[in-house]
Amino acid sequence: MRSVALLGNPNTGKTSLFNVITGSYAYVGNWAGVTVEKKVGLLKNKQAHVIDLPGVYSVNPLSADETVVTRFLLNEPFAAILNIVDASQLERNLYLTVQLLEFGKPLIVALNMIDVARGRGVEVDPGALARGLGVRVLPIVARTGKGCDAVARELSEGRLPESAPLRLDYGPELEAAAEEIAGRAGSVDGLPARWLALQYMEGNAMVEKLLERRIEPDWLKARREAAAARIAQASGAKSLQQYIRQVRGEWIARLAAEATRRTGADHSLLTDRIDAVVTNKYLGMPIFLLTMFLMFKLTFDWVGTPLSDALDGFINGTLAGWIESLLDLLKVSPFIRDLILQGIIGGVGGVLVFVPQIFMLFLLISFIEDSGYMARVAMVMDRIMESIGLNGKAFIPMIIGFGCNVPGIMAARTVEQPKERLLTILLTPLMSCSARLSVYSLFAGTFFRGSQSVVVFSLYVLGIAVALLMAKVFSGTLFRNERSLFFVELPPYRVPQWRTLALSTWEKGKGFIRKAGTFIFGGSVVIWLLGYAGPKGLNVPMDESFLAMIGGLLAPLLQPLGFGSWQAGAALITGFLAKEVVVSTMNIIYAAPDLQTLHIALGQQFDALQAYAFMAFILLYVPCLATVAVISKETGSKKWTWFSVLYCLAVAYIIGLAIYQGGRALLG
Amino acid sequence: MTLSDLNPGSRALIHDIGSVDDLLRRRLIDLGVMEGTEIVVRRSLPFGGPLTLEAGGQWIGLRRRDAACIQVTPA
Repeated sequence: MRSVALLGNPNTGKTSLFNVITGSYAYVGNWAGVTVEKKVGLLKNKQAHVIDLPGVYSVNPLSADETVVTRFLLNEPFAAILNIVDASQLERNLYLTVQLLEFGKPLIVALNMIDVARGRGVEVDPGALARGLGVRVLPIVARTGKGCDAVARELSEGRLPESAPLRLDYGPELEAAAEEIAGRAGSVDGLPARWLALQYMEGNAMVEKLLERRIEPDWLKARREAAAARIAQASGAKSLQQYIRQVRGEWIARLAAEATRRTGADHSLLTDRIDAVVTNKYLGMPIFLLTMFLMFKLTFDWVGTPLSDALDGFINGTLAGWIESLLDLLKVSPFIRDLILQGIIGGVGGVLVFVPQIFMLFLLISFIEDSGYMARVAMVMDRIMESIGLNGKAFIPMIIGFGCNVPGIMAARTVEQPKERLLTILLTPLMSCSARLSVYSLFAGTFFRGSQSVVVFSLYVLGIAVALLMAKVFSGTLFRNERSLFFVELPPYRVPQWRTLALSTWEKGKGFIRKAGTFIFGGSVVIWLLGYAGPKGLNVPMDESFLAMIGGLLAPLLQPLGFGSWQAGAALITGFLAKEVVVSTMNIIYAAPDLQTLHIALGQQFDALQAYAFMAFILLYVPCLATVAVISKETGSKKWTWFSVLYCLAVAYIIGLAIYQGGRALLG
Repeated sequence: MTLSDLNPGSRALIHDIGSVDDLLRRRLIDLGVMEGTEIVVRRSLPFGGPLTLEAGGQWIGLRRRDAACIQVTPA
């Protein structure tokens, strides 16, 4: 089956279009860099595969997510290109289109955001654009799906016309050099030779590496430098890159002038007015903090917790009752009965009750992403981030990390500077994710009833504060000599659509439910068995079980932090699987039939100060298994992976110690 | 005169971005912000925080320090 590559600038609606024409659902948002990896989907009419790639401005890559596209063009077979073009930023978008047309694969343009352009007082004529580019141009509204079916039909078998590569005239000096290089490049892996030559002249590092494997690097460099010198003399251009840019830019400007018409007033005032408030000199930071605080109020006090309590009543009351009667009816052995009621219902059910809170948080994060506010947060935070050696954009992965650290760490790819990206990856695990939230909900619900959201908010702030402090330490020691950079696009605001929000929330939240069925289920069974069996046999008292022995090994180490019990030790070990497992473990250890009983059991084990130290330790101690795996994948380094685990552990121990010992001294 | 000398609301033509950091210059050029582009300073954040700029209907955020490397002539 043929495959079609979906390419375009960042934040132009590629993923929205992908979702409509393939009927799948992938993550979308209103900030540049949402898609960091390629995704493959099947067209609804099953005629072709569509490959969704990260947004790029140019084929010549700059940041890690952009190399994905260039690598794709160079290495992967595909039949055609679907190029999505943002009509409201026509000239910038056409720059990529020119490079893709030079590549010479069959290409269709999907012209998106005509409505946004119209709001800015610009009318774009698809017909004139099609004549100028020499390819089909189909107007679409990707967010609502309008016009997308026509795109899907066009991509279906047998309808894509082959087209000759676009040839712009780059002037005699460059053309001569390009021809010479193209002549020697021949057909490298079937790639178009002229395109390779032009990309090489433009300074595309990946093409350079490819060509240098076939042709002597010195010969290539000599050609490039000679052309650059001649062009500098003839045209005054400072670099080849600038010159090529200029030639393409002039061609595009002529085309854009033919294809667009100014119709009237610019209505982009709404975005301007909102920005006047949310990035205001004095109000910007307070508004951001207020937004975060409202997020927690909604998640904990106003909406999430009441729903969680209701769900707890259902799972641990009604549902557990039904299962119990069913087990009685089936006359199962006491072993199976306990395994199901205490192990599985206790462990998995104890985690599932937090689903409403977690979905509420994901809904709010989705709202922030889809509205366009995320890029403004990067603006507002930049000054603070700069002072610790990072940039405002590094804050976006951290906010996403509040939902789950795994996508947060992947979002760090949009940070251009390699050092800042690595630093962002190391710090994101300190952001308190939704899995940890279940632990806080449990403990804050036991010890801080009435002031839950304040206590939980303080833990989120603690995570951020530790991250900022560590950033300062690391950028002053490990990455001393590198300069920090900041650049962000500010997309126009839009009102998120309910459909998008619902899908986006589900997409983020379903991982949590899947985890409940796999890791947490498996973990609960193992934990229950370890608690059920001991050196003296089966069905031993919990204190003489294997679980107590294992947890007991850690207990002396944890004593100075205020929670030196085998129960806490066991919960921390199992919490490495996934942090929610801490809650499952507590449920199983205390054999609590519902949240109420568990609150009482915990109240006898911990006091408020110990509980707070325990929560702070859970927040910081080690990234969960899935996070460690993604750190290892994203950094590609065992050293940095180990480093992230060990420094978190050290920081957690120090902070836990400070909270407990400091708190004891203060409270007398 | 550099971009960082302009007050919010003022307009200027860029005439040299040669001394901007390489990585950043590439990104600016990607967005069509280069010699000859008209640029407007829209807003600035306090304590030397970043500037909000507009060029060709595109809004971007840039640090004051980097804006100081962009030579402009007021329009």
